[in-house]
Amino acid sequence: MKRLLENIKIAFQSLNINKLRSFLTMLGIIIGVGAVVAMMSVGVSAQQTVVQSIQNIGSNLIIISPGNIEEERGDIGAVIGTVVRDELKMEDAEAIKRESTLIEDVAPVIVGSSVVSYMNKNIQVSVYASTDSAEKVYNFEIAEGRFYNSSDVANSANVAILGQTVVKKLFGRMDPIGKTIKIDGKNFVVIGTNKPMGATQFGVDQDKIISVPVTTAQNKLYGFNYVNLILAKAKSEDAMDEASREITKILQRQHKIRPGEPNDFTVQNQTQILDTLSIITTVFTITISSIAGISLLVGGIGIMNIMLVSVMERTREIGIRKAVGAKNKDILVQFLTESIVLSITGGILGIIFAVAVSLTLSKFTMLQTTVSAMPIILALTFSTMVGLFFGIYPAMRAARLNPIDALRYE
Amino acid sequence: MDMNKKEEYNSAIINTIEITKTYRLGEREEVRALKGVSLKIQRGEFVAIMGPSGSGKSTLMNILGCLDTPTSGKYFLENIDVSKLNDNQLAEIRNKKVGFVFQTFNLLPRLDAFHNVGLPLIYSREGSKNDKKERILSSLEAVGLKGLEKHRPNELSGGERQRVAIARALVNDPSIILADEPTGNLDSRSGEEIMAIFQKLNRQGRTILLVTHELEIAKHTQKIIYLRDGIIHNFEKIKNPIDAEQKLKEMPRLENKMIENKIKQAKSV
Repeated sequence: MKRLLENIKIAFQSLNINKLRSFLTMLGIIIGVGAVVAMMSVGVSAQQTVVQSIQNIGSNLIIISPGNIEEERGDIGAVIGTVVRDELKMEDAEAIKRESTLIEDVAPVIVGSSVVSYMNKNIQVSVYASTDSAEKVYNFEIAEGRFYNSSDVANSANVAILGQTVVKKLFGRMDPIGKTIKIDGKNFVVIGTNKPMGATQFGVDQDKIISVPVTTAQNKLYGFNYVNLILAKAKSEDAMDEASREITKILQRQHKIRPGEPNDFTVQNQTQILDTLSIITTVFTITISSIAGISLLVGGIGIMNIMLVSVMERTREIGIRKAVGAKNKDILVQFLTESIVLSITGGILGIIFAVAVSLTLSKFTMLQTTVSAMPIILALTFSTMVGLFFGIYPAMRAARLNPIDALRYE
Repeated sequence: MDMNKKEEYNSAIINTIEITKTYRLGEREEVRALKGVSLKIQRGEFVAIMGPSGSGKSTLMNILGCLDTPTSGKYFLENIDVSKLNDNQLAEIRNKKVGFVFQTFNLLPRLDAFHNVGLPLIYSREGSKNDKKERILSSLEAVGLKGLEKHRPNELSGGERQRVAIARALVNDPSIILADEPTGNLDSRSGEEIMAIFQKLNRQGRTILLVTHELEIAKHTQKIIYLRDGIIHNFEKIKNPIDAEQKLKEMPRLENKMIENKIKQAKSV
C-alpha cells in the first residue's frame, strides 16, 4: 500500500514535468469519456422523460391508431404519423364505448396546429381535441375553470382550454376565463386553463397548447370527419390483453373487414409502446458505446505512444534505479502506475467536462440532463483498463532494459 | 561498521576465481573482455584498478557490482556465489551489498539531495520511515552535505553532486563501495575532496574499490591492480598513500587564486 502510494506520487511527479504533453495525451481519453458521459446524461434523461410521459398519459391505456403498422412498416406515410390517415372515425370510438365490456371509457383524439389570437397578440399552438371522456382516460388536469362537458361536445361548442404558455403570451397577468379569443379567425370562449407541464426532453413546450371539443375541431377548424387516435382505458391491468382483442373485433366489424383480410388500424397498449422505445434505447446505447470504444482506443494508443517515448527518455533513470536495487517488477509497476494514472486522470477530467457540459445544457437550453452514477463508474473502469492495457507493453520494455546499457544511454 | 563485525568474518569480501566474460558481436565475432581474473579484496581495503581503455576494467566493475554475470568462473561476494543468481536476486544484492559511485554522478535530476540519497531505500523493504530518514541524514552528514538536503542536482556543484552520489552509495550500509572514475568529471580540487571523503570512509572501516586511469588518483589507495587485455597484469602496494586532506591544505583555493588575479590586474592598470 505504501509502495503503491509512493508509485502514484512518482507518477504524478513525472507527469507534472511535461504538463502540456501529459494533457495532450489525456485529451483522447478526456474527449472520449466526456462525450459518452455527456450524451448518456442527455439520453438517459430523454428516455426517462419519454417513459414518464407515456406513463403519465394515464394507466391501462390502449392506443388505437389508423393504418396497419405491422403491414406498412417502412412506409414513409405510416412513419410520418397518423395525422393524415382517415381510417378512424368518431363512430368507431362510440362503437367501442357502447359494445366493449372491458373498457371503462374511450377518448377520440385529434391533434392539429392553429393560430390563436387575442386583441392584437397571436401565437401558433398545438391543438388537442377530444371529448369530455379525455379527463377520465388520460391525465388532463385543469388549473382553473372547467373542462368541456358532453353538451359542449354534442353541440360543437366554441370553447377552449388554454395551456400556461398561451395564457402568459396572450393575457399576461389577466384572468383569461370568460374572454373571447380567435382560433384561426373564429371566436372561442376560454373556459379553463391547464396545469403547467413544462418542456419535453427535446425542448418542445408542452404548455403551448389549447384544447377544444373534438367535434368543434372537425366541423369548425379543420373540416374533416376522422380522428387521429382513439385512446381506450381498460377496466383493469389484467384485462388489457382481452380488451385489446375485444376492440380489434369491434373495429373489424365496424370497418367490415372479413376474416383473413388485414386490419386498417393498429391496437397497441402502453407496454408495447414502451417495448418499442426500449429497442430505440438499445440502439442508442450501442451507438454511444461504439463511439466510446473508438475514442478510448485512440486515446489508449496515444498513451502507449507517449509511454514508449517516456521510457526512452528515462532510460538512464531506469538504469540508475536498477543499479541501486530496483527489480524488473519495480520498474514495471512504476511505469504501469504512470500510464494508469494518466488514463484515470483523463477519465476524471472527462467526467468533470461532461458534468459541466450537461449542467450548461440544462441551464441554457430546454434540454433536461441527468448525470447518473452508471456512466461515470463505467467511464472510470474503462479508462483504468485502457491505461493498464496500453501501458503494459511500454512498462515491460522499461522493465526488461539491461542496467548496464541503460546507465550508458545518453 | 563496528569492530566486532569486522573480526567475525576475516575472509575476503570479494573473491573471484578465474572469471571470464565473452561478448558476442554478431554471428561470428566474439570479444573476450575478461580472460580469467582472480582477485581477492579483504574487508577494510582501499584498492584501485587501473588500466587503459579496452583493458576490461568496466566489464570487471560491472561484474563486481552485480550488474552483470561472468561467462565462466566464480564470484563470491561475502561468501555468496553471485555468479549463479538471477536478475531479481542480483537486484537485491546490488541494493544491500553494493554502493555505486559513477563518473557522471547519475543522480535523478528531479529529486532533491535527500530523495536521491533515499532512492535505494525505496527498494529495500525493511526499516521504518523514521529509521530511513535517519539513515539518509547521517549519510549526507558523512559526506559533509548537512543542510543541503533540499537542493536539487542542478543547484549543486560537481563536487557536491558526487558527494550526494557517495551518500546514496552509503545509505544501505553496503559491504563494498564501487567507484567508477569518480573524479573524472571534476576539477582537481573537487576531485581531491572526493578522495578525502573516500579516505575518511576507509579509515572508518569501509571497503572501497576504485577504477581510474589516473595514477595520481590511484596513489591515494593502498593497493593498485593493473589490468591489461582482460587479465591482471600487475599488483602494486602503495607504501605511503597520498593524504588527500594534507594535499588539500597545500592546494591554493580557487577563490584565493581569483583574488590574486584580480590584485594583479589592479596593479597592472
